[in-house]
Amino acid sequence: MQERIAEYRRIAVFGGVYNNALALHATLEDARRRDVEAVFCLGDMGGFGPHPDRVFPLLKGSGVLAIQGNYDESLAHGKTDCGCGYTDPRDNHFARISYEYTFANTSTENKQWLGVLPAHRRIRLGAHRVLMCHGSPRVINEFLWESATPTGLLRRFVREAETDVLLCTHTGIKWHRVLPTGEHAVNVGVIGRPENDGSTNVWYTLLTAGPELAVEFVPVHYDFETLARQMDQEGLPPEFSETVRTGWWTTCLENLPSKERSRGKF
Amino acid sequence: MSLPLVMPPSTGHAPVAPFLRFSTLWIQITGTWCNLECAHCINASGPKEPWLKPLRAEVARAAIREAEELGVKEIYFTGGEPFLHGDILALLALALQTAPTTVLTNGTLIDAAMADELAALAASAPYSLEIRVSLDDTDREKNDRIRGAGAFDKAIDAIGSLHERGLLPIVTATEITSREHSDGRGMYERFRDFLKARGIEKPRVKIMPVFALGRLARPGGAVLSENDLEGFDRGTLQCSEARVVGDGGVYACPILAGLPGARLSEGGLEASFRDAPLYHASCVTCLQTGMTCKNG
Repeated sequence: MQERIAEYRRIAVFGGVYNNALALHATLEDARRRDVEAVFCLGDMGGFGPHPDRVFPLLKGSGVLAIQGNYDESLAHGKTDCGCGYTDPRDNHFARISYEYTFANTSTENKQWLGVLPAHRRIRLGAHRVLMCHGSPRVINEFLWESATPTGLLRRFVREAETDVLLCTHTGIKWHRVLPTGEHAVNVGVIGRPENDGSTNVWYTLLTAGPELAVEFVPVHYDFETLARQMDQEGLPPEFSETVRTGWWTTCLENLPSKERSRGKF
Repeated sequence: MSLPLVMPPSTGHAPVAPFLRFSTLWIQITGTWCNLECAHCINASGPKEPWLKPLRAEVARAAIREAEELGVKEIYFTGGEPFLHGDILALLALALQTAPTTVLTNGTLIDAAMADELAALAASAPYSLEIRVSLDDTDREKNDRIRGAGAFDKAIDAIGSLHERGLLPIVTATEITSREHSDGRGMYERFRDFLKARGIEKPRVKIMPVFALGRLARPGGAVLSENDLEGFDRGTLQCSEARVVGDGGVYACPILAGLPGARLSEGGLEASFRDAPLYHASCVTCLQTGMTCKNG
């Protein structure tokens, strides 16, 4: 039986909540004001921030349609590693702290909720076929950075997935590319931590159907100082709250390609 | 010079790594032709007649074009010393129009003019250019004992030149001298601190294991059996998603490029998309260390 594909005109999509309930609340409020028909989350509810269980009532209460990220998969299956895909010792050191904290502070009920999220979602935006994934269509924790994702690879992804629009997250930095053949590839960014540009806001993506697909990145300002204070009170590394307060990544940045790395402070 | 490698055992009964996807194209651009003759070199490269010949530029160009059609994710140039190849800059430019590209170098040929060229290439390319500079120790004497007299200072100069121009070289070190340091700090932190002390604000460091291969080859090394691989995810091995174009064909991994047992095709890339035999003693090191030759 063929899967029924829901059709929308206007949607909000974000990734990487990273325990940031304050940014999630602000994002949902902002999206509501913009008359979106549905809100989608491309996974990784946990990591980095404080009080993991605070994001779930917001996600469930607002009817956010989520898919599973590597963090969600790891938490749901009781894995000892977040599965982020880091290889550098310093990245892995901080990833381990973050994961152990999140694992210990996420309820069994919420882990079970994460465990039944789908790996992908397909929808239609008007005439445009849309595929949502976390890392890439083929690997949950594949990093698709703007300067490290060839157009030839994206062409292959959209061809094999039979889609017109590919949405992903995982890296933490948004981008949008229109392929020579007309399809769109969008990394929707994350709302859990700022994107290493010296600004404290986070980003989500608004997609609107039309003869041409409209892709708009929306900045979200939230009470980052309260979040940073909560992180400090929870005993998370000061490097994490520094990122929240300054907008510069201090950890988990060794895997950045040189173009993205050179734009950051560290 | 004859092939200085211990002949591999038959690959007939070796376990295999499944081919999962094509992500990484390696181009063995200078074969085993190098201006250094490092004591631990995995393919016994050196300045004399190379046992693995450099690639002609048109072979490399054809590989890049085929790789683009096949949806390659990243491209690496290795050797030997890639900057000995007369067409290296043109090939890097072509590769950078196709995919993010990394070049593995000893750094000794990167003078100010070459650093300018690389910075210009990086600035005009849509994808990231990564320069991996090999350095085996933070101590000049220890490094040069392995890599040859003068290698340390030239590599340090190259790292500085690249950094000054906004490129962020990845310093790659093997663990060959790690036992000679008794200060209790790991290699990774030692290299980071060393680079920071020289004004490298964003030190990038990759540590590699030493392989019993090339100049360090020993006969009779253990090879993998099916039992060794029980419960192991073979998809994590780089030969499940990488292929190497070198003289004589397409090979399963950069470590074994040029060896007949690792050759999967004598022609195009796509013909090499089949299971790779894990026949060599070096495959044990990949399994045990989880290492990858990629940047990360």
